Amino acid sequence: MSHADSPGGPAEAAEHEPGHRRWVGAALVAGMAAALAAAMIRIPREHAALPAVARYAMEVSLPRWGLTEPVNEVVYGTRGFDTFGETFLLLAAVISVVMITRSREARRGYFGESLAGEREQAQADPAEQADTSERAAREAERREQGEHDPGDPAAPDTPDAEPLGTPAPETAEAMTVVVRTAIRIALPVLAVAGFYLVAWGYSPGGGFPGGAVLLGVLLLAYAGFGRRRISKVVRPGLLEGIEMAGAAAIILTELLGLLLRGSFSANWLPLATPQTILSGGIAQLFSASELIEVGTGLAIAVFALIGMGHDWSPDERSGADDKADEKGAGQ
Amino acid sequence: MIVVNYLAAVALLCIGLYAVLTRRNMIKMVMGLSLMEASTYLFMLSLAYRAGSTAPVLLSPPPGKSVSDLVHGNVADPVLQNFCLTAVVIGVAVTAVFLSVVVRIAQHYRTLDTDQVREMRG
Repeated sequence: MSHADSPGGPAEAAEHEPGHRRWVGAALVAGMAAALAAAMIRIPREHAALPAVARYAMEVSLPRWGLTEPVNEVVYGTRGFDTFGETFLLLAAVISVVMITRSREARRGYFGESLAGEREQAQADPAEQADTSERAAREAERREQGEHDPGDPAAPDTPDAEPLGTPAPETAEAMTVVVRTAIRIALPVLAVAGFYLVAWGYSPGGGFPGGAVLLGVLLLAYAGFGRRRISKVVRPGLLEGIEMAGAAAIILTELLGLLLRGSFSANWLPLATPQTILSGGIAQLFSASELIEVGTGLAIAVFALIGMGHDWSPDERSGADDKADEKGAGQ
Repeated sequence: MIVVNYLAAVALLCIGLYAVLTRRNMIKMVMGLSLMEASTYLFMLSLAYRAGSTAPVLLSPPPGKSVSDLVHGNVADPVLQNFCLTAVVIGVAVTAVFLSVVVRIAQHYRTLDTDQVREMRG
């Protein structure tokens, strides 16, 4: 048992945090710093000529891709294959998060699945009784997740409904009227800005910053209005499907270059006038697919982390698990 | 004196590495890894810098210059800016993986102290 289980709740942050071989670590880090600093003194500085690949990107950006933004041309054109691989690295990371955070029972939402787990635990081990700390933690978690009676005065929907002078802790799910009004004004602006970054192909990166902005929109709505307001949009079944559609669109975009133009990630769409919404050929298509992929991928990872509930499985290190196994084998 | 930026990136990386090597709290180790990631962003963007250069944007060139002057002229390295763009997104995703592993370990062992997590020890 760790100190976190000690009576009286978790211990205060200690003045002397336990360290681990500080002097060995300091020596290793000093060696690393010396080696890297020696390397840094010798590498090219601000007066060096641009590398050939950068010069090439600058030269082909306008004539071959119709893009006035060489960074975007590098991301989706010259180094499109690199971006392609990086996209699937992101997908692999998201799948890892989904696998690690998955709860024992099948689930439909990121939040409020503990009830199903309780039923399963009651079936698997009816003799196990909840102790006081578990009951208190469960009660706090229920309050936190907003699973209260609508008429319960202890936990109103917003802090504005709470009578003045109510003692802490705050139990409302949403934030105050000031924050909610500010979010209502900021959200549409932010969402439009995110799509603008993608639609106008001469913003650096396109879908990458756009997707991150969309995640910001979702998180603002979650923080300001609570989980119930976004639960129709933010659920694994929907987000995972959209993400896979984005990944399929990226594969198709790149593969059609191989089929139609003879090389992977080649441009197979007609070039529009630079600085219009269609300029850049497949760069725009790639960027829009990337918006879907990055936006939903980051949302899945973040909400899967936020939705990780307490897992009240017993601590098995005491050997109780082995005994249970023996009992199960004997039956 | 862009070399100051390079050395700052080295310093950031070393602070992160020291945290990973010597902390026993897993959240702080993840913070150290994130710091090491951030140092590479600083390093790549500093490496892209050229003295007296403009941004690599072929749009409304400075007075007295044409777009083709810009193409062959003095601009910051667009390839390294691309690296940084993709590295930021990957950094977020990898940090999410680390944190979910940390939460699972904390749920299983009821501690964040790496010295308490030694079931895998040979």
